[in-house]
Amino acid sequence: MTNTSAGRRPGELFFVLVMLVFSVGAFWQAYAISGFSGKTTPGVFPMLASGVMVISGLVILVNVARMPAPAADAPSFFADILTLRHIVLIGFVVGYVLVMPSLGFVISSALFLYCAFQFLWRKNPVLMLGLTAVTLAIIYLVFREVFQVVLPQGTLLQGYF
Amino acid sequence: MLETLGFLAIAWTDPWLIFLVATGTFTGIYIGAIPGLSVTMATSILISFTFKWDVNEALALICGVFFGGVYGGSRTAILLNIPGAPSAIATAIEGYPLAKRGEAGEAIGLTTVMSVFGGFVGILALALFAPVISEFALMFQSRDYLLLGVIGILLVGTLSGESFAKGAFAGALGVLIGMVGLDPMTAEGRFTFGSIHLLGGIPYVAAMIGFFGVAEALVQLHTLDTPAIKQKIDRIIPKFSDVKKYFWLALRASGIGTIIGALPGTGGDIAALLAYDDAKRSTKNPERPFGTGTREGLVAPEAANNAAVGGAHIPMLTLGIPGDAVTAVIIGALFIHGLKPGPLLLVDTPHLFWFIVGALTLANIFLLIFGLTGIRLFTKIVECPKAVLIPLIIVLSAVGTYAIQNNPVDVYWMLLFGVVGYFMKTYGFQVGPVILGTILGPMMDSNYRRAMIRARQDTGDFLWQFVSNPISLILTVALVIMLLSQTPLWPKLRSVLTMRKDSS
Repeated sequence: MTNTSAGRRPGELFFVLVMLVFSVGAFWQAYAISGFSGKTTPGVFPMLASGVMVISGLVILVNVARMPAPAADAPSFFADILTLRHIVLIGFVVGYVLVMPSLGFVISSALFLYCAFQFLWRKNPVLMLGLTAVTLAIIYLVFREVFQVVLPQGTLLQGYF
Repeated sequence: MLETLGFLAIAWTDPWLIFLVATGTFTGIYIGAIPGLSVTMATSILISFTFKWDVNEALALICGVFFGGVYGGSRTAILLNIPGAPSAIATAIEGYPLAKRGEAGEAIGLTTVMSVFGGFVGILALALFAPVISEFALMFQSRDYLLLGVIGILLVGTLSGESFAKGAFAGALGVLIGMVGLDPMTAEGRFTFGSIHLLGGIPYVAAMIGFFGVAEALVQLHTLDTPAIKQKIDRIIPKFSDVKKYFWLALRASGIGTIIGALPGTGGDIAALLAYDDAKRSTKNPERPFGTGTREGLVAPEAANNAAVGGAHIPMLTLGIPGDAVTAVIIGALFIHGLKPGPLLLVDTPHLFWFIVGALTLANIFLLIFGLTGIRLFTKIVECPKAVLIPLIIVLSAVGTYAIQNNPVDVYWMLLFGVVGYFMKTYGFQVGPVILGTILGPMMDSNYRRAMIRARQDTGDFLWQFVSNPISLILTVALVIMLLSQTPLWPKLRSVLTMRKDSS
């Protein structure tokens, strides 16, 4: 992650390749908007933007491919870039945003905060429970009362939280 | 004149607004100081929460956060050798050695006073020059705005990123994100794939929060276990003789900061580094060599990065072109409140412009007060473990995104941008140009089409416009110089030319 030398980072080539494929797809979709039928059609600027992406993506790909590959003893992609910690946390977040519409803000946030605190800090579960309650109370008061934000209510427990 | 003063005083006479500016500045200092939280992150999340507010109230809070945040980065730079924000990198070089010698308090005091000084210079420049530039900008044509947009995005991309290609890619990606939805000119769908969710476009606040909030939180996961270092702090009010001694240096640094801040695409981080470099070259006999804790090296970048705040508001308010990532986010806030930053902002809504100037001035005064007090509380809060911060950032990002339109789909977008942004950051792509592109893309698109229609769809005529008008010519030359100097085109061209000369 903190690699600043000229070497290629693990997974970098693959990522750049994915970005390039995405750019080509975007260009194709931009072309599909209005083709080359005029110079002021809605599709011209999207084609220009995705065209720049394709060209710069190719340049980046060539540059990255030219870099020396990561050394055999260097940390792998999963040890250095997408660590277990990242995968688990992203998993928590995905679960959090997926259940929020049905469970509502308070319960889903409480679950997420507790799991994330416990996973990242690994301290006494009761302490983490207290921390969750305090932070959630502050967030709720500040945003519901001060900012008057409408927080997701949740369809399952409609009216209770 | 009297009217202007009245507008200026709005923020000063309403207790609620004063309170909001003070709260903004106070929280800004902590947000800027806590490693892992950034001004851009805070502003993006704040915008989603405040968009239902009255515009003055929202701006008062945001002005405070911006000023406090730019300053706050210096404190952790001095105390922990971790620049809380990129604009405090130079501060860390000189400030941390000072703290290690037990002069942390004095270093903080001096940076506070000089930051406030720089801030005032920047605000003064904003008040004096914005009206002039705004009048001048009324002469700008569509093509000039197109050029300004391209220059702004490329500048952000190239000055801070790993390579020109990565900056250009990120900027173009942003423009592409901004294109999704109904085309404002023909009401034709672009990249909507027949989905009604995409007809309204991708909300740029979701993109901002994803790229600056969740992506940053994921990056921070790598440094979860870095322990905080404690410093002893005693005297914090700087000596008057010190302030007097560094006055001219601070003034020059503020000048640099204002100008760099005012250039589209360059903000406080570059201003600070340039001012530091200038101080290094201009200080003949520093008390200690640079890099080992000189006060000159501390004063210059801090005065410059706060001066850049006022400077960065100039292109944002007069041209509608944000100077850096934070102003790009603020411009988003202005759009949300139905305002159109640009040359007409000063004509149509002068009260808003002068309100911002007044609020910034007030924020700067609060900065002085909060900067010189509350250091004990500060050291406690900064030690807040990242294991607590990271989940909090994520919850705030999710709620913030949801608050824009009460739509869960926006939250999914935000999460997607967060994960993609994490990989982009990891592999050396900057996310700033993406946001700039998202905001400026639709503006560039419509200006391109207007310029093309004016040229009667004739490409030759269209290109001729770029060189036949003095303003456009200057901008075109600037863009060409940038392209040549940042890409390998120029060295290649030169080697071809010399080869030809050699062979003949």
